[in-house]
Amino acid sequence: MTAARPIVIETRGLGKVFSVDRAPIVALEDISFAVREGSFVSLVGPSGCGKSTLLQMLAGLVPSTAGEVLVDGLVVRKPAPDKISVMFQDATLLPWKRVSENIEFPLEIRGVKAAERRERAAAMLSLVGLTEFAARYSHELSGGMRQRVSIARALAPDPRIMLMDEPFGALDEQTRIKMGHELLRIWSKTGKTIFFITHSLTEALFLSDVVLVMSHRPGHIVGVIDAQLPRPRTYDIIGSAEFGAARNRIWKLISQDDDEAGANGMASL
Amino acid sequence: MTIRRLVLIVIILGSWEAVRRFNLVGPLLLASPSEIGGALIKSWPDYFVALRFTVAEIAVALAVAWTLGIAAGIVAGMVPFLGATAGPLLFSLFAVPLITWYPLFMVWFGIGMTSKIAYAAVSGFFPIAINTMNGIRGLDRRYVLFGQAIGCSRRQVVFRILLPMAMPSIVSGLRIGTALVVIGVIVAEMLASLGGIGYVISYYRSIYATAHVYLGILFALACAFVANWGLSIIERRFTHWRELQIEER
Amino acid sequence: MKPLVLFAQVSFVVVLIGAWEFGDRVGAFDPNILPPPSAVIVSLRTLLQSRSFIADASDTIVRVIAAFVIGAPLAVVTGFVMGENIGVGRSLSPIFNLVLAVPQSIFLPVFVLVFGLGFTEKLIFGISHVFFVVAVNAMAAVREVPHGQVVLARSFGASKFRIYRSIYLPAMAPQVVTGLRLGVIFDIIGILLAEMYASRSGLGVLLLRWGESYDVDKLMAATVLISVATILINELMRIWETRVGRWRQAMEDR
Repeated sequence: MTAARPIVIETRGLGKVFSVDRAPIVALEDISFAVREGSFVSLVGPSGCGKSTLLQMLAGLVPSTAGEVLVDGLVVRKPAPDKISVMFQDATLLPWKRVSENIEFPLEIRGVKAAERRERAAAMLSLVGLTEFAARYSHELSGGMRQRVSIARALAPDPRIMLMDEPFGALDEQTRIKMGHELLRIWSKTGKTIFFITHSLTEALFLSDVVLVMSHRPGHIVGVIDAQLPRPRTYDIIGSAEFGAARNRIWKLISQDDDEAGANGMASL
Repeated sequence: MTIRRLVLIVIILGSWEAVRRFNLVGPLLLASPSEIGGALIKSWPDYFVALRFTVAEIAVALAVAWTLGIAAGIVAGMVPFLGATAGPLLFSLFAVPLITWYPLFMVWFGIGMTSKIAYAAVSGFFPIAINTMNGIRGLDRRYVLFGQAIGCSRRQVVFRILLPMAMPSIVSGLRIGTALVVIGVIVAEMLASLGGIGYVISYYRSIYATAHVYLGILFALACAFVANWGLSIIERRFTHWRELQIEER
Repeated sequence: MKPLVLFAQVSFVVVLIGAWEFGDRVGAFDPNILPPPSAVIVSLRTLLQSRSFIADASDTIVRVIAAFVIGAPLAVVTGFVMGENIGVGRSLSPIFNLVLAVPQSIFLPVFVLVFGLGFTEKLIFGISHVFFVVAVNAMAAVREVPHGQVVLARSFGASKFRIYRSIYLPAMAPQVVTGLRLGVIFDIIGILLAEMYASRSGLGVLLLRWGESYDVDKLMAATVLISVATILINELMRIWETRVGRWRQAMEDR
């Protein structure tokens, strides 16, 4: 399905070392993977393994200390807002702006004219199904709605790539499942490339074409699992045998890594 | 203005007037509302001229304290090392009785408006800088990341994202700072000045014109009120979202 | 980071003083307007050996201490009563908050009108500065007392004295000490202001006099001395505040 598509994101031997108080912390080590255009890729791993750091490096927000990130074959050194949008776990909506103004904000920074901004914001709002809330403020919305606004805002500049750092992490389970469906619907409609970080194996497998499995610190890729599950995906696929098998493969990779950590005497963080 | 409040005010004014009329308190210690009114009628030109001085000094000092305080607070807030270094220093300096520096300011800037503006501006600077710094420091760093991710320049991150978010803290600093500026100007005028409300108050005190003294103090309080009221307008404009947040809870 | 920060702070102060001295040496500053640190230290030494300066300084210190010794205990008791007795608290605290909101400095001329120009006037001005801030803090301190523990202790038959000493005291201590610290600061400000405004003796008068006569060396020396002294007092009281408030820190750190 996705095999013929070109590679949009690639990392080669990516590494990140933080020097904190003279004791260097190796956050990421030798990360190499490729993401094809239009695919939905998830990254799972234990907390503190450097997933967020990796995402920030893909976004050009944090420089690497080893290796490089390539987007469209070009090395990433700083943010590329025309190509890449980022979403965080906290919706980071600006509380003094209305919902529509929040969605317009990235366009404002890019210098898009007011009329065009408004049109675009309205379109995005309708895409996520929140048109009636255009004039509200973020604190008037529920967590799930806020993340939908955040998605709309991320889509507004029409990026080809969307990076998401555990966007549904703060939501309750029901909302998470709903949001997962929403995201898939938007994804199939817009054809973006999505790189999605989560610590839920189920969520990762349910949403993605490919799941990257990361170890704990120093984070490196311990496995790449091809989901090979049919689309469109509905929640009952989670009960299927193929889902269970794939999930077990991921789980094995993670436990192996855990055991190694235990053997090396490191705390799993 | 509820009826109850109105009645309360009338009662207070009435008893105040009565206390003087029946000479329960001597004319030296207290002036009744009517006596204060008399003073106003008699000498209002003096007060208005003085008010022009004072208001001008307050306005300039506020402008200086606000801009320098907020700017310093932003810088100290954005650069964590600077903040960690400057913060405790500022805090310790806050304890110094700044009024003791006024004579030095007099030597450096003369006895006119400049010394008062300088003194008041320094008074107001500290709480504004400290509060702004804390406001910016307390912000979630992800907002900075978000700003950078959508392509904001450094300047845009500060002015379009951080400043508006830190507004509630900044405004509370402005509140304290503004009060200190107004008091600073007036007290400095009381100590050594060529004009201004504080000077007028002091002058009338020296000739034991009690009603005039009270009138002057009322004018001084009026200055503080107006400054505060102006600040409330700004507060509402820039932090209305915060109130809504608190209401929602 | 901590030792580096300390180093930065110390070196900042050192560099500042060094630049100041240098500025005077090369003539960037007019020594008649801004005397160099070296001159200030010399003046300081002379002042500290001068009888009249010591006399004035003692006058100021006596006033500050007197105002505090009278005002603070009164305020703590009042604040305690206001905190314990809801009725008293509700009727008095708006007044107290109003007083704290309006700067007392503006009313100095009224104080002089009413109390004259002597020791009494300054004392009362100082007491007024100490009283309200300490009382309000003491009242807030009562809120820190864990009511559950008090009820429990009483059910075990503990005496009132015991309860006050072992539950009320440690719980209230941090907030009360904060109030005391602020009280000292306000006290010093008030007394100095009153002296600068109208007095025959005291550090405040000296400052104003030297300012008007352009006696910069003495003025700078005295001003710096007062500033350093107040900073020291503030820091010492902050240390006391922290020590008394250990249990509070533990809660905040969570």
